[in-house]
Amino acid sequence: MTDVMTSPPPATRPAEPSSGSAIEWVRKNLFSSVGNTIQTLLFTGITLGLIRAILGQVFYEDANWASVATNLRLLMMYNYPSDQIVRVWVSAAIVLLAAGLSLGAWAVEPGYQVRRLGGHLVGIGIVSLVIRVLLPEHTPGVVATVLVVVGVVSVLLGVGVRRLNGNSDRVIPFGSLIAGICALFVAIVWFVPFGQYGLVDGTLIAESGVTVASSTKVPWTVLMVIVVVSHRIGLIVGRIIGSAMRRALSAFWVVGPAFIIFVVLRDPAFDWAHVWSTDIPMGAAFAIGGAALLYATTAPGRAEIARAVGAVIFAGALFNWVAAFFGWYPMLQKARLSFLLLAVAVLLAPAFAGDRATRRRVATMWIVAIAVIHWLITAINTESTLVITAPPFLGGFVLTVGIAYYVMLASFPLGVLLSLARTSRLPIFRVMSTAYIEVIRGIPLITVLFFFSIMLPLFLPKGMGISDLAAVFAGYTVFSAAYMAENVRGGLQSVRRGQYEAADALGLSTVQRTSLIVLPQALRVSIPNLVGQAIAVFKETSLIAIVGGFDLLRIANSTIPNQPDFLGQKRPGLMFISLLYFVFAYTMSKSSQRLEARLKDAQAR
Amino acid sequence: MSIADQALTADLAARDDMIVCTGVSKWFDDFQALKGVDVTVKDREVMVVLGPSGSGKSTLIRCINRLEVHQEGSIVVDGIELTNDTRNIERIRSEVGMVFQQFNLFPHLSVIDNITLAPVWVRKKSKVEAEQKAMELLERVGIPEQAQKYPGQLSGGQQQRVAIARSLAMEPKVMLFDEPTSALDPEMIAEVLDVMKDLARGGMTMMVVTHEMGFAREVADRLVFMESGEVVEVGTPEHFFTNPQEERTKLFLSQIL
Repeated sequence: MTDVMTSPPPATRPAEPSSGSAIEWVRKNLFSSVGNTIQTLLFTGITLGLIRAILGQVFYEDANWASVATNLRLLMMYNYPSDQIVRVWVSAAIVLLAAGLSLGAWAVEPGYQVRRLGGHLVGIGIVSLVIRVLLPEHTPGVVATVLVVVGVVSVLLGVGVRRLNGNSDRVIPFGSLIAGICALFVAIVWFVPFGQYGLVDGTLIAESGVTVASSTKVPWTVLMVIVVVSHRIGLIVGRIIGSAMRRALSAFWVVGPAFIIFVVLRDPAFDWAHVWSTDIPMGAAFAIGGAALLYATTAPGRAEIARAVGAVIFAGALFNWVAAFFGWYPMLQKARLSFLLLAVAVLLAPAFAGDRATRRRVATMWIVAIAVIHWLITAINTESTLVITAPPFLGGFVLTVGIAYYVMLASFPLGVLLSLARTSRLPIFRVMSTAYIEVIRGIPLITVLFFFSIMLPLFLPKGMGISDLAAVFAGYTVFSAAYMAENVRGGLQSVRRGQYEAADALGLSTVQRTSLIVLPQALRVSIPNLVGQAIAVFKETSLIAIVGGFDLLRIANSTIPNQPDFLGQKRPGLMFISLLYFVFAYTMSKSSQRLEARLKDAQAR
Repeated sequence: MSIADQALTADLAARDDMIVCTGVSKWFDDFQALKGVDVTVKDREVMVVLGPSGSGKSTLIRCINRLEVHQEGSIVVDGIELTNDTRNIERIRSEVGMVFQQFNLFPHLSVIDNITLAPVWVRKKSKVEAEQKAMELLERVGIPEQAQKYPGQLSGGQQQRVAIARSLAMEPKVMLFDEPTSALDPEMIAEVLDVMKDLARGGMTMMVVTHEMGFAREVADRLVFMESGEVVEVGTPEHFFTNPQEERTKLFLSQIL
């Protein structure tokens, strides 16, 4: 695979024109005829006019960009207690550490040619200078100065880089690229006077016009160092124990964020007596009993028994859920969930049947899964020692990212199952799944969110509650799964019949055929659509504002404009969050293109 | 019937039955594709199925590993009858290898993973053992150097040889070939046929649908000629190419030779 990562430049790419032939190029492509010249002039005029108009919106008469700069913490974390802010830094450090390790372990190496770097720098410089020329009159002087400096320096650097590089195909290693970006970021943090101010713990912590930025400089620097170092470590360790490391990191990306949200950011106050008397014995019982059951049912030739046992447990588990709705007899949520999991695992056991080593592996995986799930449920259900002044302990950008991430993570497998059901030969599955998908797709997201956050709690049985956060998450997942399902179905239809036949002819079971042959191909085809859906999920988290969550939109639209210093200052905040959304959505879109290209290269077809 | 022919017939009669089709009928909606077909393939026999397109020959061999479901009659493979019982179907499928006209390799897996997939997941072999076996098979079909490539990077002939290796990795008792060379460029046909000849010489039971008369003449123990879903004539290559009995067989052979 390594030959694919470096993405060698196509040999046929013509050398970019040097400054001499640049004029030639312009003449040939932009001013070749009268019509072409008119078009060029017209569209240049329109583009410049548009930039001018946008700049007029950005630097309008009484724009106060301090409303964004001083409210950054609010936008990121909402009213997270300021004396506990170190938890936020630890969380960010864990995420960035894992990100760096992952980039290294998967050897993501998008080559960045030196020649292109030069071109990009010149481009940035020219755009900066053009913007400087088009700035409205009442723009703060410092902006103009910065633009001129950035413009001139970029152009000079770019030209210099291209001169030095000549015509060679040198590529900047990804590690150096990361280091460069991190260094730039650290420099910005140290030299640009960001402030923090705003509604922190319900009080204003800064005088107007005074910024308190010192506390973020050092943590950010540490975080950037972590990124660079962890990428390096990921590369080195990945070469030695690649697959084990990738498996561990994949597990982290599934469980880690929940750990961060509900343990690091929230710090559960464990009732240790209860943990010892109930949680641990119950977890152990499920882990050991389930492992023994799975070990027994994965023996070859016991498929019938496994299905029967699985069905019995499944019926019992379903009964538990129904009974809970009528309040017939109480059972811990965790036990209900575990029974359901056990039923599914036993039903699937025949597909994983094998020799002793395989069976032992299945049993071990079960124990690990139960340990993680039980511990997370305990942590999530336990109250927090963290004293939070207002109820939502998550808000701002963290809420956006957290909700979007888990909705994607949960709705993806749900969507895959739905699409498989919809293409199934069994009419009952097909009808149910089609009905679900069509009904959900016919309802606006906002309605689904209202239903889950306002109506659902009314229907829940006595003693079962659902927090706002969980309601939004559940509703959004239900909604998104329908769309995911349709995207995956498109991919499923692209898998040729011969693939099914070849899998059948080799004696693969239906589960094996689906998971090993059909889905991998279908998902590859669906990547662009799935990423499109992921981007939609990310952006539409802004609807959480309407059902009561304090997300970016709500903060920018109503919290900041109500601060005494920034009365009515909506536009800067809204523009800032637009930029934030755009940067993340664009990154996702770009990575999906890269992923597609990489898979296509790997298969060379 | 020549003396050699008689000897062969006697020898075949003494062997065990591998595939026994009795009165197999199959309908696609109103169209009857198979009309009470009786065919018996003996252990270690190479049987070539001939016939014009639409004669039901592909349908017949696809019924043998249940890619198509027959509605009447019975098919018994190595003593196991094909019924709706999923366990029987999976057992037969793992004993019967199949090579398709369109190769049907898994494009998302490398050549070696294509070959080791079924042994690891169906036969529950260890990865190392399966890979060892896969390399032996690739050696046998003459392309060990392509192990790490993806199907899309191989020529048609190479892909078909990988497909044969993939089937052989399951150590099947019978191999079915559904027009294995029809989708190939002419210069690649020989390399695939060579592998098949080698396989036949090794004593594999084979049922081959093909238009390659040279192959049929050289390798087949018996030929079956089918038309409009019926078996018209069964006999040794010598019988077929020197002295066919039925008019329809003569007509077909005169068109194709």
